[in-house]
Amino acid sequence: MTLAYRALFQLYPRDHRTCFGAEMQSVFEEAAQEHRSRGWTAYLRFALAEYAGLVVGSGTAWAVKLAGRGYVYDQRLIRPANAAALPGEVQEAQDRLTANLTGLLHAISHHQFLKARLYAAEEQKAREELRLLREKYNIAESGDLV
Amino acid sequence: MRHVVEQPDAAAPKPLTEPVLLILMSLAAQPRHGYALIKDIETLSNHRVRLSTGTLYGALRRLLDDLWIERFEQEDTSRDKQAYRLTAEGRRQLQLELERLKQLTRVGIARLRMNEA
Repeated sequence: MTLAYRALFQLYPRDHRTCFGAEMQSVFEEAAQEHRSRGWTAYLRFALAEYAGLVVGSGTAWAVKLAGRGYVYDQRLIRPANAAALPGEVQEAQDRLTANLTGLLHAISHHQFLKARLYAAEEQKAREELRLLREKYNIAESGDLV
Repeated sequence: MRHVVEQPDAAAPKPLTEPVLLILMSLAAQPRHGYALIKDIETLSNHRVRLSTGTLYGALRRLLDDLWIERFEQEDTSRDKQAYRLTAEGRRQLQLELERLKQLTRVGIARLRMNEA
């Protein structure tokens, strides 16, 4: 059943797979284990619902992608190379700033101005938070520990 | 000639879908990761709704895009899990939706009573 899940998961666009692949697979396995213990009928019903969810979900993901909405959310993909050396909360704040900037640019380029305003406000907050954390840990603008 | 179609109110929030509403309600109490969300939503809906991973992550993706929720790494004793929490905007949208539903319920009950009287 896991193999069938993995195969159907390939229907999703690549960015969705990169962003949520491991997580969806792990949630599926956790849920599958629980349903297996309830008997074969419950497990089969669960598996069929999951497969249908993947087919519908991948269709929606493609529609979103082709309409030019949505972007890669996995902040780890766009994390700077030196990020691993930084304290966890600084990494998180940097990720939040990068995600908000990406979202802001995406919203502006797609003329979604209400959304852009929201991203801009969040970006300001994230920038200030990062500034305070840099002060706390004595980190220069470049990201190097001083 | 250019035809301009007037929108009723472009700024008015659209009603939320049931999965989205349930996800926001679940995250209003505390941050959760994917499987915990599925389990909590089952409980919240009195075992009427069981989200598939496809539906759950489709909704989470939209909510992340709208900045109603955010993703963070939850440190777990056994493994690192991606968890989700409501943002201030998400909380505001949930409040708006609950107000809308409350208003709708009030009107619906009043209409029922009117018919019974």
